[in-house]
Amino acid sequence: MNKSLTEIAGYTNWRKKLILMLLVGSLSILGVSLICLNFGVVSINPKDIISILLNGTQDKTKNLIIWQLRAPRIALGVITGAALSTVGGAFQGILRNPLADPYILGVSAGAALGACIGIALQHVTGYLFASYLPLFAFIGAMLSLYLVYKSSEITYSANSTGLLLAGVAITFLFSALITILLAISRKELQSMVFWLMGDLSAANWKKISIITLPAIIGCLLLFFSSLDLNALSLGEEEALHLGINTGKLRIRIFLIGSIIIASVVSFTGLIGFVGLVIPHIARLLVGPDHRIMLPASAFLGGIFLILCDVLARTLMAPTEIPIGAITAIVGAPLFIYLLRRKNK
Amino acid sequence: MKIFKKSILIFTFLFLILSSLLPFSFAEAGNYPLTIIDDTGTAVTIPQEPQRIISTAPSNTEILFDLGLQEKIVGITNYCNFPEETKNIEKIGEISPLNFEKIIYLNPDLILAYAGFQLKEIPRLRELELNAIVLEPLTLEDTFKSVEMIANVCGISDKGSLLVDNLTQRVNIIKSKVSKIPISARPKIFVGGTSETIFTPGAGTLFNELITLAGGQNIAAVLSFWKKISPEFVAQAEPDIIIVPVGAMNQGEESKIKNNISQRSGWSNIPAIKNQKIFIVNEDLFYRAVPRLVDGLELLYGIFYE
Repeated sequence: MNKSLTEIAGYTNWRKKLILMLLVGSLSILGVSLICLNFGVVSINPKDIISILLNGTQDKTKNLIIWQLRAPRIALGVITGAALSTVGGAFQGILRNPLADPYILGVSAGAALGACIGIALQHVTGYLFASYLPLFAFIGAMLSLYLVYKSSEITYSANSTGLLLAGVAITFLFSALITILLAISRKELQSMVFWLMGDLSAANWKKISIITLPAIIGCLLLFFSSLDLNALSLGEEEALHLGINTGKLRIRIFLIGSIIIASVVSFTGLIGFVGLVIPHIARLLVGPDHRIMLPASAFLGGIFLILCDVLARTLMAPTEIPIGAITAIVGAPLFIYLLRRKNK
Repeated sequence: MKIFKKSILIFTFLFLILSSLLPFSFAEAGNYPLTIIDDTGTAVTIPQEPQRIISTAPSNTEILFDLGLQEKIVGITNYCNFPEETKNIEKIGEISPLNFEKIIYLNPDLILAYAGFQLKEIPRLRELELNAIVLEPLTLEDTFKSVEMIANVCGISDKGSLLVDNLTQRVNIIKSKVSKIPISARPKIFVGGTSETIFTPGAGTLFNELITLAGGQNIAAVLSFWKKISPEFVAQAEPDIIIVPVGAMNQGEESKIKNNISQRSGWSNIPAIKNQKIFIVNEDLFYRAVPRLVDGLELLYGIFYE
């Protein structure tokens, strides 16, 4: 069946393309990460950075800045960017909607509500939960995931509109609850707003070790659904004729994607725009075949996010600009430029 | 032999008791290392007298200046604007997210953080093994405690108590004057703003506490914390005095602000507007948990009764 699908879609030579893309992608991520290590409020000689990376150095401050601040931040940026973009691409596939992004199916609103409740609770419980905010966010995300799943079942699960509308409805509901929390909270207000803006500044190795596994396994599972997504991109009926249970596929991608997003945004807050625009850019660059497009999105997303983070922390240093703003300011013109070039 | 054993037992026992008491006696004398429980309930040990202090909130910066510790500050936030000398101190950026790289680079031995803004960052500061003390003064009394805590941590607890005694005295003078005024004679106060949407401080805010201490009756005292209220609420409460806290204000804006408030529809019957009892004040005297709150208190008393 695989073979016939490949022929129908006209996607040939995908293995070669994939290997080439994986090679170029991993090399560029490595290169860009090394370059990004050089940027920060404190200027550190590139030579010093290399010696710190290779064998550590006697200068404790520089060591700390590179290993405990910049490196984990870049690692978190790569994972977050890759996860958001892959899930964005997959969601655009199952919803057959170019405006879909990883947050459209409600999981982000749930995470945000969970985090805001966690922050609001500090007022009552003291600082017991200060380190457990990600847990609150994750529980919130799982709750919203369950609600979206249930409400899409009530409507018509075989149709992409049902899932989409359920996601949008739950997003609105949770956003409204967040607005109420924001309105009635006082000293926690700032903490909540900062959480909602999302940032990578609180990255550390522990967080990275927690999210790496779900992000990688989840993304691999999405990659393995590429053929089904390709079939779905031909159309709902065409996919059914090819023997694909589109309803089940949709739910599967929705669940995997949401769990990836939940684990990532629980630590980073809501970083916007990456998951919307990077899959489109990847599609423009490598074509619509999900087998190549999804890994390409992952690489591009990782690179894009760490570059944006460099801008966020250097443009107005020592002030850090919210990274969500940078992703949109840099990403929107880039996207329009690529679209223009494609159409010429 | 028995006596020998007994005496050894007693000796060891005494030694244990004495050695367990030792650290406390050191701490009381203000010697280092000094362990302190901060406002998040965390025990923080300060190994020696801090020489490089970073303040991550305007209130902490002001308290450091009040205690004469400005020479030891190596970093403050972009929002720390009082007193004037803060201009010359290196900035670490925004209140949140904190720029950890800059903080580490400045190599501080004490960080004074503020829980209201930095919940997300505090665990990270501790992870990086920085000595972070978190303050969270919510009342006038808390503010005085913060002053004492900072003084204590920096090895000048005498100076801290002196400052607090002085402030307490000033507060007590106002309190004793106010206690002679019958409740019915106390003016009704409304704290308004310059924007169309009205946010006003209710119970649990520093502002409400100062109004009450200064002998005023806050019309929003039935609400809790900062609340958005409707113009109707104000019209019905008929306040005698309107206080308008503002940040920076340009010249000639004062009359404009007063006009705007006076001309709001439905408010013409409010006594404060009929008698033009509208006062514009510097918001920093009422929002920041610093000794200047007492200046704010005296200012309010002056507005209400002089």
